[in-house]
Amino acid sequence: MKKRGIGYASTFYGTGYGNGFPDISRAIAELGTDGNIYIYVGATEVGQGAKTILSQIAAEALGVDFSSIVFICEDTSITPDAGTAAASRQTYNTGNAIKLASEKLRNEIINILEKRYGISTENIEDYLLQVAKLNGDEALRMDGIFTASTTEMDAETGQGNPYYPYTFSVYGIEVEVDTTTGIVEVTKAVCGQDVGRAINPKLIEGQIDGGFSMGLGYGIMEDINLQSGRIKHDRFTSYLIPTALDMPDIDKIIIEEPEATGPYGAKGIGEPVLVAVAPAILNAIYNAVGVRMKEIPVTPERLLKALKVKERGV
Amino acid sequence: MEINEVFKPSKVEEAIKLLDHYQETSKIIAGGTDLIISLREGKESASVIIDISSIKELKEITKREDWIEIGAGVTFTKVVNATMLQEKYKGLIDAAASVGSPQIRNAATVGGNICNASPAADFIPPLLALEAVLVIAGSNGIREIKLNDFITDKGKVALSKNELLVKVKFKELKRNQGLGFNKLGLRKALAISRICTSVYLEISEDSKCRDMRIANGSLGRHGLREKVVENYFKGKPLTSETIEIGSQLLEEEVNNRLQGRSSAEFKREAVKGVFTVALNKAIENSRL
Repeated sequence: MKKRGIGYASTFYGTGYGNGFPDISRAIAELGTDGNIYIYVGATEVGQGAKTILSQIAAEALGVDFSSIVFICEDTSITPDAGTAAASRQTYNTGNAIKLASEKLRNEIINILEKRYGISTENIEDYLLQVAKLNGDEALRMDGIFTASTTEMDAETGQGNPYYPYTFSVYGIEVEVDTTTGIVEVTKAVCGQDVGRAINPKLIEGQIDGGFSMGLGYGIMEDINLQSGRIKHDRFTSYLIPTALDMPDIDKIIIEEPEATGPYGAKGIGEPVLVAVAPAILNAIYNAVGVRMKEIPVTPERLLKALKVKERGV
Repeated sequence: MEINEVFKPSKVEEAIKLLDHYQETSKIIAGGTDLIISLREGKESASVIIDISSIKELKEITKREDWIEIGAGVTFTKVVNATMLQEKYKGLIDAAASVGSPQIRNAATVGGNICNASPAADFIPPLLALEAVLVIAGSNGIREIKLNDFITDKGKVALSKNELLVKVKFKELKRNQGLGFNKLGLRKALAISRICTSVYLEISEDSKCRDMRIANGSLGRHGLREKVVENYFKGKPLTSETIEIGSQLLEEEVNNRLQGRSSAEFKREAVKGVFTVALNKAIENSRL
């Protein structure tokens, strides 16, 4: 018999390395001799869309079109260190560093226009090439450094500022459990995600889809099958991750509550979109069949066993 | 062993000549979805590869008298899309559609699935339920063998080194006959079956089960028939009571066969659900 259930789970997640670990992002904004803006930053694009949103932040801070930004990353010989693409920190930390560098460059361009040309303007875009030619072969460069707020916990008092800022997330998930086989199918999901400010809503939706698929695998599929210290599921034929067909439609609700310290109010959402998925699925399973699963992944084998135990009233 | 030569014959006779000449040192490749992996992993080796994917006569699905014949080189994508198999052969199409992913179904062939004889082969149970017969070509001519006799053990088939599987055939389904298929995989695509079951059913005028053939995959060393359960159903009406009793018989059979295996507890229980769905599909398809 197939039984349906709904489950919820919510989470709050601290951005950055945390607990006092130095968390610094550096960036350089440069007016190239060709009149384009070059952003140099060590941030790594791993498919999350860092190149896109960090370029958007630079364009916004400089007041120029997105197309005049040339984004250079992942080359340690010419880019300053912006830390790892981890801890959901690039949008917030590196976004801030780029914003600072870009603002400094914009102010410098405005200064030059006033001093050298007697033009007082907010519209620097039309004068970029003119300013760029002033210094001959030397490009105009500004750097930006952002240090995240974090302190180590005081071991005596338990007080401190482990992370800043926090991101909030909630999932509602509907499952269908086949009580004869233990198969769990996730049929519907809704995600309410606090983002501070959505720099790029499409990319946030992509992150939600990606995070959800990881949470789905974590919750009901991904099993390393450790036996006597050996990983038995040591390849993707046995270590199963969800396919596109296993994904339900996800209703995405992006909640914008700008974070005062974030670049244009933005916060990182890479990991937050994943955290609440598995608990929400397990709650939905409980709601569907009344079995409280306490071990993941909830494979058909484990669930069917638990259903049998419940049936026998043990 | 290094691969020294690859041949691409365009006729069955050419392939047979090559097989006859190279014998054990050669391997046949069709879709390559199994062979390439096992060559790479060093599980199999060959110095000569005979690629049969250009032999046109192996790639046809035909109706001959009251038999349906599927060429060994027919891909699962072709089975899924075959006009001749729509509706009535839903069970066969479901099985073909459950193989791997679109990319794998585009390459993998019916003949490969049979000759590889994996315990988890998705296409073997429905063919067993249809009492399929294989047509095999060799240097001494053509022979026929029942699929059930062809698969001798896990990964082992009764095929000589100089023989080639040409086609698989089965009797056309009539109005009161139906085939159902159901598979338990751990995800919706690219899933190796944990259990797959196919049920052939013939219903009599008085709505009783005149004949039933049940074949399972992943519940033994190779795809196999469940004769005890089949015999129980023969002559009985298909009610929720008889289906329940039949399912329990199947549970006992599976339990006895898998004794001592860690998967036994799960599989003996889950097989009942998988079988019931396959049977209901067979009932439904017998009305078409």
